[in-house]
Amino acid sequence: MKAAVVTLNLLYFLALAPLFEGVMRKLTARIQSRQGPPVYQPYLDLAKLIGKDNFNSAGNWVFRLAPLLAFSSVLAALSLLPVAGRASWFSGASDLMTLIYLLTLSGFSLLLGALASGNAFSAVGASREMMTIVMLEPVLAMSLILGAVKSGSFSLAAALSGIGGTKGVSYFLMLSVYLLALQAFVSRQPFDIPEAEVEILEGPYLEYSGPNYALFRYTLNLKRMFYSWLLAAGFLNFFGSPGLILSLVLQTAVILVVCVVVSVIGATHPRFRIDQALKYYAVLVLLALVAVGFGVKGF
Amino acid sequence: MDLKQKQELLKLLRAELKDGFLGEEPSGENRLWAEVKREALVRAAELLLQAGGRYQVGIGYDARKSGKGFALIHSFAFDRDGLIAAIRAFAPAEDPEFDSLTPIIPGAGWSEREYQDLLGLRFKNLSNGKRLVLSDDWPEGIYPLRADIPYDLMPPSAEEVAFRLEQAPPGTTVIPFGPFHASLHEPAHFSVFVDGENIKGCEYRGFMVHRGIEKLAQTELTYNDIPFLAERICGICGSVHSVNYAQAVEAASGLKISRRAEFIRVVLLELERLHSHLLWLGVAGHLIGYDTVFMQAWRIREKIMWLAESLTGNRKTYGMVIIGGVRRDITSDQAENIKRVLGEVEKEMLQLEKAIIKDKTIQRRMRGVGYLSREEAIRWNLVGPVARARGLALDSRKDHPYAAYDELVFDVPVVEDGDVWGTMVVRIKEVYEAIRIIRQCLDKMPADRPLALELEGPIPPGKQGLSVVEAPRGEAVHYVLTGDGQQPERWRVRAPTYPNLQAVPAMLLDNKLADFPIIVGSIDPCISCTDRVLVVELRSNSKRLLKKEELESISRKMRPGK
Repeated sequence: MKAAVVTLNLLYFLALAPLFEGVMRKLTARIQSRQGPPVYQPYLDLAKLIGKDNFNSAGNWVFRLAPLLAFSSVLAALSLLPVAGRASWFSGASDLMTLIYLLTLSGFSLLLGALASGNAFSAVGASREMMTIVMLEPVLAMSLILGAVKSGSFSLAAALSGIGGTKGVSYFLMLSVYLLALQAFVSRQPFDIPEAEVEILEGPYLEYSGPNYALFRYTLNLKRMFYSWLLAAGFLNFFGSPGLILSLVLQTAVILVVCVVVSVIGATHPRFRIDQALKYYAVLVLLALVAVGFGVKGF
Repeated sequence: MDLKQKQELLKLLRAELKDGFLGEEPSGENRLWAEVKREALVRAAELLLQAGGRYQVGIGYDARKSGKGFALIHSFAFDRDGLIAAIRAFAPAEDPEFDSLTPIIPGAGWSEREYQDLLGLRFKNLSNGKRLVLSDDWPEGIYPLRADIPYDLMPPSAEEVAFRLEQAPPGTTVIPFGPFHASLHEPAHFSVFVDGENIKGCEYRGFMVHRGIEKLAQTELTYNDIPFLAERICGICGSVHSVNYAQAVEAASGLKISRRAEFIRVVLLELERLHSHLLWLGVAGHLIGYDTVFMQAWRIREKIMWLAESLTGNRKTYGMVIIGGVRRDITSDQAENIKRVLGEVEKEMLQLEKAIIKDKTIQRRMRGVGYLSREEAIRWNLVGPVARARGLALDSRKDHPYAAYDELVFDVPVVEDGDVWGTMVVRIKEVYEAIRIIRQCLDKMPADRPLALELEGPIPPGKQGLSVVEAPRGEAVHYVLTGDGQQPERWRVRAPTYPNLQAVPAMLLDNKLADFPIIVGSIDPCISCTDRVLVVELRSNSKRLLKKEELESISRKMRPGK
């Protein structure tokens, strides 16, 4: 039964992640007075990419391994997540640090692949990606640690319910920080700096094509969905335990709302420069630290 | 020194150059054609520069037929006085060497390198003697613009002669922007030296899309074919080039076209400015990652394109201009339609402007980026919105009025910002000025005829004409030297990007890599305008030239009365 729930949760993420990208693309297009592709376009894109020859343009195994590592570490991270408020099958063997490590590993795989590709634009993209990871991952970590502090446990399910458990100063501060960071977590404008098409030609992804690239795209979709899910399951955990199906429906609705907001913000902002973005992230990290401080003091 | 008049300039040249001054070719009040000894060329240029002249362009041609060797002309604009002064010098065919102007005018470097490549001229003290125009595998010793080289010559490629880019300075790495890059819409190569994200230098290699237009016109076409070829120099400002060429020939041959034709030319030019600025605004949005601005600006622009199609039959490349006038009239129905569309465009533009000007993030991406001081702008002879964003009130429409601009009321927006933001503000304001000008044209247009003069007899040889037109990107210069037969002896085109692009490395210095696209974009580079001259495209797989028959059949269909 527990194994079935983990599988169901993985399937839920794998099936819906491209759809949310489709929704974002459609909405962005409508804001720009365009027709836009159908919402199922990302599925077609993935299918097309997977059907192509797997070309290793860099000619080394790191380049080939990186997308597999990125994809599998995100899948591993997702399988740890509690479903409908109940701890996952793997919760005995993992805690919230495992989750953070796995997500960071996925980000670092992208860096490895970019650096292994030997392309100058990828290298610039990788250095931007690295700065983003260093500055942004602490915000995610702090959110979960706040939950751990409040619930007094490092177990993932406890930490998640802990975030939204008592709604004091620390909760609202951390919620606003998380909302402000969300656009960067899903790497949409103004924070799509590591990819920046007109500057560095999609940066880290530049040398990737076919199934390798499909894995990276899928990874990105899954991560975007995860960060929106965290808002639903952690911060807005107000639906209690209404049962598996209803809870899935509710969290899907929240993710959709996040999609809409992210698309609108993305379509109404130009891209920041990396130095401008880093200053912004630094403020977020500081505020997140303050929020954890409040949490420790019980506010 | 403050020289206002042509006569005073002449007096100065005579007094200072002594026997270096050879004479003056008679012409109207607003042009000065002086001839000097080649040893006195740099001194003469220096005098004109000190007298307040702005360097425009170098024009070289093969005059061996007349026994004078090779000619080199440098032209200077005196914008406050509406005067353009050109000094010409000859060098004997066996020793075609001139002194370079680059020590006093860095912006003359491209013109000189161009003739080093194309005519085999040599320049003493040229600061950078690398190839500019010819492709790297073009063999040494063949100079395509010389009269004895046929326009369709395809010599075998030279081997192992790749263009050597500069080594990156220590502590920097090279990021290759080009020859194909998402931020460049045409082939060009910027080799950018970066330290982390900071730009520490840049080398430019362009002229990859030469189509041999000038040579083709001088050898294969007749006077009235060329407007249609000139229009194809550029995909955005085609009319600028056809009007400019026609004006140069009209000036050389003393033709005076009807007032209505002049007004119609203005309408075409301003429609082009409208759609070009809207295009730029969209591209600028795209370059800083703001695709909503891109899409909305182009949605507004589309109305102008439809309007152009209803007036001329084409969205672009109107085919309206010939020597002696224009080919189609603007009817009163069409005039009403223009006014209606302009009203819509103005309304939507105001909304878009409000959204852009108040956007804090756009300001953070554009203010202080690509800064160049007013002094630097003068030193590099910048033109157009790029100069007007740096406090220089240059506008050929005001300074050297042509067509019907003397009768039209409009402002020239000038700001002092000196950065990318300034160029955007100037272009947005110019959209409204263009609308204002077109409205006036429709109201003031007289009904005189004919729309196009018939050319009476052959155009006399050896006459010079120089015309300027304010293109959306700045001043475009066309020079025509009439020839014996039915075609010009020399036709020289200098697009506004030609001087502006030379200053881009200075604008890039010490900016962030992320700002590269918008800085290059801020001059609205038109590579096809700039790279127009070469005879044969030599890159092995792209030998497609427009054949004479094809071009003739295209042009013939467009000629009136046939």
